[in-house]
Amino acid sequence: MSATLAAIPARGTDRPAWAMTLILLAAMLAAPFLVGSYIVYLLSLTLIFSIVALGLNVLTGLSGQISLGHAGFFAIGAYGTGLLTQKAGVPFPISLLAGAVIATAIGAIAALPALRLKNLYLAIATLGLGTVIQKTLFEWQGMTGGGAGLELAPATIGPLALREAAPLYYVILAVTCAGIWCARNIGRGRTGRAMQMLRESEVAAGTLAIPVARYKVIAFAVSAFYAAIAGGLYAYLVRYINPEGFNTGLSISFLSMIVIGGLGSVPGSIIGAAFYVALPELFRAIKDAPGLVFGLTLIIVMVFLPDGLWSLVSRIRERSWQR
Amino acid sequence: MIATLIVSGLAAGSLYALIGIAIAIVLRVTDVPNFAQGEMAMVSTFVAYELLHSYDLPWWSAILLSMVFAVAQGLVVQAVIIRPLIGAPVLSAVIATLGINIVLHSVAGIIWGHETHIFDSPLGDAPPVFIGGVPIPLDSAANIAAAVLVIIAFTLFLNRTWAGMALRATSQNHTVAKLMGVSVSRSFAFAWGLGGLAGGLAGVLIAPAVFLDTNMMGALLIKGFAGGVLGGLSSLTGVFLGGLALGVAENLVGAYVSGSFSDALTFAVIIAVLVLRPEGVFGVVRARKV
Repeated sequence: MSATLAAIPARGTDRPAWAMTLILLAAMLAAPFLVGSYIVYLLSLTLIFSIVALGLNVLTGLSGQISLGHAGFFAIGAYGTGLLTQKAGVPFPISLLAGAVIATAIGAIAALPALRLKNLYLAIATLGLGTVIQKTLFEWQGMTGGGAGLELAPATIGPLALREAAPLYYVILAVTCAGIWCARNIGRGRTGRAMQMLRESEVAAGTLAIPVARYKVIAFAVSAFYAAIAGGLYAYLVRYINPEGFNTGLSISFLSMIVIGGLGSVPGSIIGAAFYVALPELFRAIKDAPGLVFGLTLIIVMVFLPDGLWSLVSRIRERSWQR
Repeated sequence: MIATLIVSGLAAGSLYALIGIAIAIVLRVTDVPNFAQGEMAMVSTFVAYELLHSYDLPWWSAILLSMVFAVAQGLVVQAVIIRPLIGAPVLSAVIATLGINIVLHSVAGIIWGHETHIFDSPLGDAPPVFIGGVPIPLDSAANIAAAVLVIIAFTLFLNRTWAGMALRATSQNHTVAKLMGVSVSRSFAFAWGLGGLAGGLAGVLIAPAVFLDTNMMGALLIKGFAGGVLGGLSSLTGVFLGGLALGVAENLVGAYVSGSFSDALTFAVIIAVLVLRPEGVFGVVRARKV
């Protein structure tokens, strides 16, 4: 069994993919020197949403569990990081991690309904969880400032103040790269394969001695961790957070990112996030046009590429392979 | 006081139930939770508004024509977008309905603007009737009556007509339904048409109460889903009772516990119920072959 598995070439070791990745990374590193600060802001936003999408893809793409509550974890990351840094004076990197750890714990608890629920029932339960988190942040005015929102001073890492767009962008880029590396390893390792098994059939996974409940909890916890890290970075990108923004619409947007990009694929997560940020931006000047174009593209992509935009790339690659 | 709250809760719950029925009937036949149901209803309500104000049609004929539009809208969406997605991952179809949702919202915004419009109802100014000393506003009574009528009509249709039985056969097994001579694609069309009708009714019933604008259906759609899931999407009665329970619970929690926290508390209750009854309170657990 292990011999036959070893005979299958591991995915993603082909040279063109590595070359493309390095070129893309170089372009991302050079970006702040080439484009204006608004574009750098949009790139940062894309990377932050990519982090959420990477985590959500572990949950939905790999494990097949739907969530409409990830805006809640994103919010916990944002408020956890912001409050710990602002009110308790904890250094930014530590509070970023602390916020994510809190969200991970809540994510693991959120997995408990998922042990029994499926599909739309799970979607509504997670949607409910997101609503509960959002309303709690709203009502806990003494701590969060409630509907007035929370303004944040620029983050500092050691002596370095992340006041300008570029330094913060590099921090976000570094975190995204770490996130991509982890997501790839989760996906290709034992955990990822167990998760794919439970996506295909929980019964079959159970008969192969895969502890279904444990992997569901892991999937929820991992994706909550990713969402909260992204939330913490987001809080310091925009430097003003309000519970109003972390609504069900945002959770649905996260889900649409991974489906548009490609379920269960790492590049798909990033493409989906870029699509979500860039497309409405192109039509920003015209009222109602961003929504119309974004919605139409969602429909067209789904009808013609039900497996997402990344499937187009792999389709082209396969074709050039055969030549 | 409490009786009044329950009555208005039932009236709101009836509307959740109508949206829930629209979602349930589409979901059962096509396996797709339709996230565009709310905006489809919003557009048909705007069509009714347009017929009333630009063409000066009498109220009843405007409503009737807008319901025809609601059904046609469901049929067109199904034929153009959902049918090509048969066999694709369900999540792709879900995101496609989400796309429809966003498109309809923007289109309505372009045509009718995002400001609020007043949608008249012939029952709006009528004095309430008293039943057992409890004042019942006529529009609340109309909501409840409409939901009950739709439930009865849909149940009769599903159980007593050939088309309805074809629909149920499709919802159980596409292949076997085809072998029995049922046209699966016609069942799909029927389901979306009926869904459009139930949703459109909810739209024209809620519009007089909350003013007509493009955001009118957003919250209602989520409540429709939640009520349906609470009662159990596998039976129309379950969806109806789930919607009613949600409406009443929301009103009572809002009045006695916390106004702004009622959404969160209601959802907390729904999560708790689902953990105990994963298929909804009235849901039937379907045995599945592995």
